[in-house]
Amino acid sequence: MTSCVVTHKEPWPAAMVSPEPDFRLLQRIAAHDEAALQELYAAYGQRLFAYALRLSGDPAAAEDVVQETLVSVWRAAGRYRGEGRVLAWLLGIVHNLALKTLRRRSLPITDEMELALPAPGASPEAHVQAGEEARWVQKALQSLSPEHRAVLELVFYQGLSLEEVARVCQCPVGTVKSRLSYARRHLRGVLSRQNVEERS
Amino acid sequence: MNHEDFETILPLYAAGQLAEAERDAVEAHLPVCSVCQADLALWQAVSGEIRTANRSVAVPPALGERVLQQIRRPSGLAHPFNRAWQLLRAQTLLVHREMWPAVAALMALGVIVAVISGHLEFVYFVAPMVAAASLAMLSGQENDPAFELTAATPTSPWKILLARLSIVSAYNLLLALAATLVLLGFAPPHLLGTLVLGWLAPMAFLSALALLLSLWLGTTNAIGLTYTLWVAHYVPYQLIEQWTASSAWTGVITAYQQLWQKPPLLWALAILLLGTALWSAGHPAFRLNQGVSEGDQYRA
Repeated sequence: MTSCVVTHKEPWPAAMVSPEPDFRLLQRIAAHDEAALQELYAAYGQRLFAYALRLSGDPAAAEDVVQETLVSVWRAAGRYRGEGRVLAWLLGIVHNLALKTLRRRSLPITDEMELALPAPGASPEAHVQAGEEARWVQKALQSLSPEHRAVLELVFYQGLSLEEVARVCQCPVGTVKSRLSYARRHLRGVLSRQNVEERS
Repeated sequence: MNHEDFETILPLYAAGQLAEAERDAVEAHLPVCSVCQADLALWQAVSGEIRTANRSVAVPPALGERVLQQIRRPSGLAHPFNRAWQLLRAQTLLVHREMWPAVAALMALGVIVAVISGHLEFVYFVAPMVAAASLAMLSGQENDPAFELTAATPTSPWKILLARLSIVSAYNLLLALAATLVLLGFAPPHLLGTLVLGWLAPMAFLSALALLLSLWLGTTNAIGLTYTLWVAHYVPYQLIEQWTASSAWTGVITAYQQLWQKPPLLWALAILLLGTALWSAGHPAFRLNQGVSEGDQYRA
């Protein structure tokens, strides 16, 4: 604790991972302990920024989202009731703020997209095994809507369960499953189209 | 578990998120299902790409310091009040400048006519009309030179409308109170309550109606309609009844004239209309004059 106390003029410490449980950390933040917020940031800052960046696609917007998230945590840490992991709670705030930023910039994205599925075509196996898989996966991921991309990010990078993903995205678990299913068909569809292009 | 169940949990398997029992079930199913093998390859590729891309993301070095600076800034309860105050100040400047003296002049004229004619109740007639006209001019392209700019700001349209509504309503209320106080020089002081109650509820109702109609039909139509409704309840319908000897007509007229004598009902209707107006401000698609104003804009 003593090593974590930072005066107001000191810069943010590079790495200060808290040995304390996250819940205790939030209790300290609720009591306006700056060092606790710094520990939280050191533990989760990169994940939060990465998630905000994936959703917004804009480093400046992602920075604003993470800043706003941490300020919200500073002001509202007392409202966290220990339901679920702190990471999921934090990602939920980032998710809301990032999508709000996106919607301010463009039209909202609806589940209607799920009806416009690409037709499944040739099998993707051969390409998955090929060395250029990173290129088509990148291309396919970029063509997903933020809502669908969010589910993949939360499962594969943030390591959340389906229930946690549902809480972050504020939707039923069934919707998370349908988004995963849509993402699978979409990725296969993109690959199939690429197969056709390469053959012709 | 059937094939669909495996399809659902395969991404979690690829992400290493499954419990032991489910993991074992997947591993037993995979060798006998080529579709799931292909899906697993797909998810592993996605997982690898997402993890690689995210691990290379570096947090901007100044971000932590910006957060610290922001939380150290005094905020607390003062923050929302400051924002509300700034919004009110900004919107005061955007309301038609001519509106302030025009409303005051009309109210003064009403007082002069009331005093000269000896009919102090004339202020009942004038105050709601003046208030309704000023509220009908609060919003829209025809009144707001900064309409396009305001529409593009992050502040919600309903907040902007509420801010302007608060400012202009407070102004109208003060003017009507001042007019009533002036009239007290010509009437017994105990009539203050009667005089104020005479115009307060109709003014609230007519103002809310004018605001809503201005959003839906434009300022001119809103003023025309509210004035018609207001003046209509002064018409001596007993004379017209001679030509339209219908009991239904008499019932409607009586109910309409009694409406203006029921302050609780007028207040309830005013709140309802106000709520609808604020909601309508945030949903331009529901405005009836949307097509007209867009057409005007293109013509211009």
